[in-house]
Amino acid sequence: MAYLKIEELSVSHKNRVAISGLNLEANKGEIIGFVGADGAGKSSALNAIAGVIKFDAKITFDNVVYTNPKESQKLKPVMGYMPQGIGLVLYDTLSVAEHLDFFADIRDLKKDLAFEEYKKRLLSMSGLSAFLDRQAGDLSGGMMQKLSLICTMLHRPSLLILDEPTTGVDPLSRLELWDILKQNAKEYDMVALISTAYMQEAQKMDRVLLFDEGKVISEVNDKSVSLENLFFENAKKNNKLLPTINISPAKNALKKNEVVMNAKKITKKFGAFIANEKVDIQLKSSEILGLLGANGAGKTTFIKMLLGLLKIDEGELYLLNKKISSANDRKELKSKIGYVSQHFALYDDMSVRENMLFFASMHKIDAKKSVELINKYSMELGFNDYLDKMPKDLPIGINQRFSLATAILHEPIILFLDEPTSGVDVIARAQFWKLLKELKEKMGMAILITTHYMSEAEFCDRVVLLKDGKKVADDSVENFYERFANAKNFEEIFLEFYK
Amino acid sequence: MRFRVIKAYFVKELFELVRTKIIIMPYLLPIMIVVLFGFGIRMQVTGARILIIDNDHSKISTMLTQKFQHSKYFNTRVSNESEADALREIKKANVDAIIIIPPSFEKNVLKNVKSELGIFIDASFPSRANTLETYIGGTVLNLANEMNMKSGVISLNNRNLFNQALRDEEMIVPGLLGLVLFVAPAILTALIIAKEKEKGTIFNFYSSSVSKLEFLMAKLSAVFALHSLNVFILFLLVVYLFDLPFRGNFFLYWLSSEIYILVSLGLGLLISILVSTQILAVVLTLMLTILPAFLYSGILMPISSMSAEAYVIAHVYPVMYYNHIVYDVFLVGNGFESTKIIEYLLLLTLYAVGFFLLGLLLLKKELKS
Repeated sequence: MAYLKIEELSVSHKNRVAISGLNLEANKGEIIGFVGADGAGKSSALNAIAGVIKFDAKITFDNVVYTNPKESQKLKPVMGYMPQGIGLVLYDTLSVAEHLDFFADIRDLKKDLAFEEYKKRLLSMSGLSAFLDRQAGDLSGGMMQKLSLICTMLHRPSLLILDEPTTGVDPLSRLELWDILKQNAKEYDMVALISTAYMQEAQKMDRVLLFDEGKVISEVNDKSVSLENLFFENAKKNNKLLPTINISPAKNALKKNEVVMNAKKITKKFGAFIANEKVDIQLKSSEILGLLGANGAGKTTFIKMLLGLLKIDEGELYLLNKKISSANDRKELKSKIGYVSQHFALYDDMSVRENMLFFASMHKIDAKKSVELINKYSMELGFNDYLDKMPKDLPIGINQRFSLATAILHEPIILFLDEPTSGVDVIARAQFWKLLKELKEKMGMAILITTHYMSEAEFCDRVVLLKDGKKVADDSVENFYERFANAKNFEEIFLEFYK
Repeated sequence: MRFRVIKAYFVKELFELVRTKIIIMPYLLPIMIVVLFGFGIRMQVTGARILIIDNDHSKISTMLTQKFQHSKYFNTRVSNESEADALREIKKANVDAIIIIPPSFEKNVLKNVKSELGIFIDASFPSRANTLETYIGGTVLNLANEMNMKSGVISLNNRNLFNQALRDEEMIVPGLLGLVLFVAPAILTALIIAKEKEKGTIFNFYSSSVSKLEFLMAKLSAVFALHSLNVFILFLLVVYLFDLPFRGNFFLYWLSSEIYILVSLGLGLLISILVSTQILAVVLTLMLTILPAFLYSGILMPISSMSAEAYVIAHVYPVMYYNHIVYDVFLVGNGFESTKIIEYLLLLTLYAVGFFLLGLLLLKKELKS
């Protein structure tokens, strides 16, 4: 009999089914991955198995059966659960050492020699030994996640449940997280259930369940199988592929490779903290520039300055060779830029058409032209069937297109995208990049995009790397590969700069 | 129930409160409320501007005028102007009240014939006008008593509240204890539980073997410990800053206050179960505590004279029971001899235990789905 056996697991939020029909068996020492996009049902499944949410299922672990959160209480001493969100389970004002004490106390652990040894080992693996007195609120995102993980593993759980422990964490910390996890899980025979949005991490699991829209679409043992393809096949089978995109070329497209925005030695300070230090960046027409960096590297601050939302402390900003200095200039700047934020700043209570009309009137486009533009873009970007639906009822891929269309209604020459693909499924992500490419080629737009998926760097023309607020690299993707001939993918190149 | 788990949460809570400086709140808020309300609410009237028109010019009318002139409550002016002119002064808000002594006032009084004083009061603030009316009446009756007049000779309302009137401090300040010790512990409790929900650290409780009882004991004991100190701080404030007497039993004061804090903790706990953000916790707690504790506690209006609905609300809120005890220990001193006080003490204990058990029952060790 399997160590962990889950039969017919389903979870509903109000009337919406989050996950249904999940079956799983796992043995001691196995690491099992839950892979899928946001909203695919991974978190609900993990919450249920951890016994922190109502569910329907029969779960057997170590010969103990539980069918609801209450019955799961008897297994809590041997469970370790880390919910999704950076530093979610940490107390900002407690230090690293105080966290370990707190977790040891609430888990009622005996503080004997073996415990001290294990604690020391976790601390040194996570590189936190030197920061025992630092408060959690002052740690970087990667360090927070490492601390969360060792706190979750402190009582050596035999069932370890981690919900996207690596999302939003820089690649180096990600590797360290995996080291801590794998070594201890194997050594102490833990069953580990780990969800992730990164396809590459599936390689590190023993087995992978693929999640899509509240169902497990497949279970994969073979590491050579391309998970991306499985998702595509599933979408094709269910007839869920999105309509194609066909943008007509702009009449007054810009010349290629013209510098449209030039930022010179831009610096931003918050008190003693330097968010950006002397960063130079050039945006050229018909070019996609990827701005990469770990959490807290200063990407969002930098974009906000270019957008005119934050004051630039030092340095100069030029738009089409004109220096931006007065408030009027900044207004002009905003009219030339389209912006899509991390969370698509759209109004949930207005239909797609109403949203677009609202943004058009904000940009003072007259009503007749607005309607024409909306019709044109909705046809070309393939969301004309959805114009009268509410944003939250749209498939995520359509939502992206419509957000993008809204951001380019006023015909900007520069488009800023702040982590637009975070948590989006593979298919929607691939389609989104196709769309960006069309915009670049047909309209000649300069596009600046931030992302923490290193694999997406490959789609950019040029990549700028930020580290601790400074620019550490700025080159075309081809040149990066030439420089690091041994690198198999962009993640490895990125790591070179982070070592 | 494991002491170690409770201690871990308790210590963590104190560290957090100190480091985020929220520790100031449990002390600043009650002191602020007591000081601001204690000095701010004034129902007695002093220095009211009175205009007396004496049409009699007799010995008794002069004595009456002097009574007014010697009172700290009035700022008296005697004049011969016409009634119409005097009324115009009231309209201009130069005068708060006019007293007109009729001609042959003395003659009538000595003959024991009924005589009427004309009194006009600026009633733009009704409650102030009421008080003023009572004061004027009191002053006149005071004279009548001295002269051994038969009652009813000078026609006036015969309520002699004046000499028995408490100082405002004595009327209001003890009631403020019932207000602050109801509001402050509830807010802090709701806040420190809602904070864990909002931040996500509540998962440490959900996903570990920490029991509901341990979690609540830890959270509530931290707030209880902090507010227990307030019982003494508030006592000193009341006795020394507001100069109130303390005629009762200190043990009774202490015991009832601690039980009352437990009631407030329980209410905060129930609110924290409903909400999942800190801001909502604060707003809801304020709404549910501060207004009722003020309006239905008997500070502003005696509960016995409330309308049916208000009377019921006042009895549902635990505030009036505690206030009864507090007024007793400061001003009266019946103490444990009063069966009503024992009864109220038991009622408060019932509230505290009831709220806690209800909270324990309703608290879920899982996410809302």
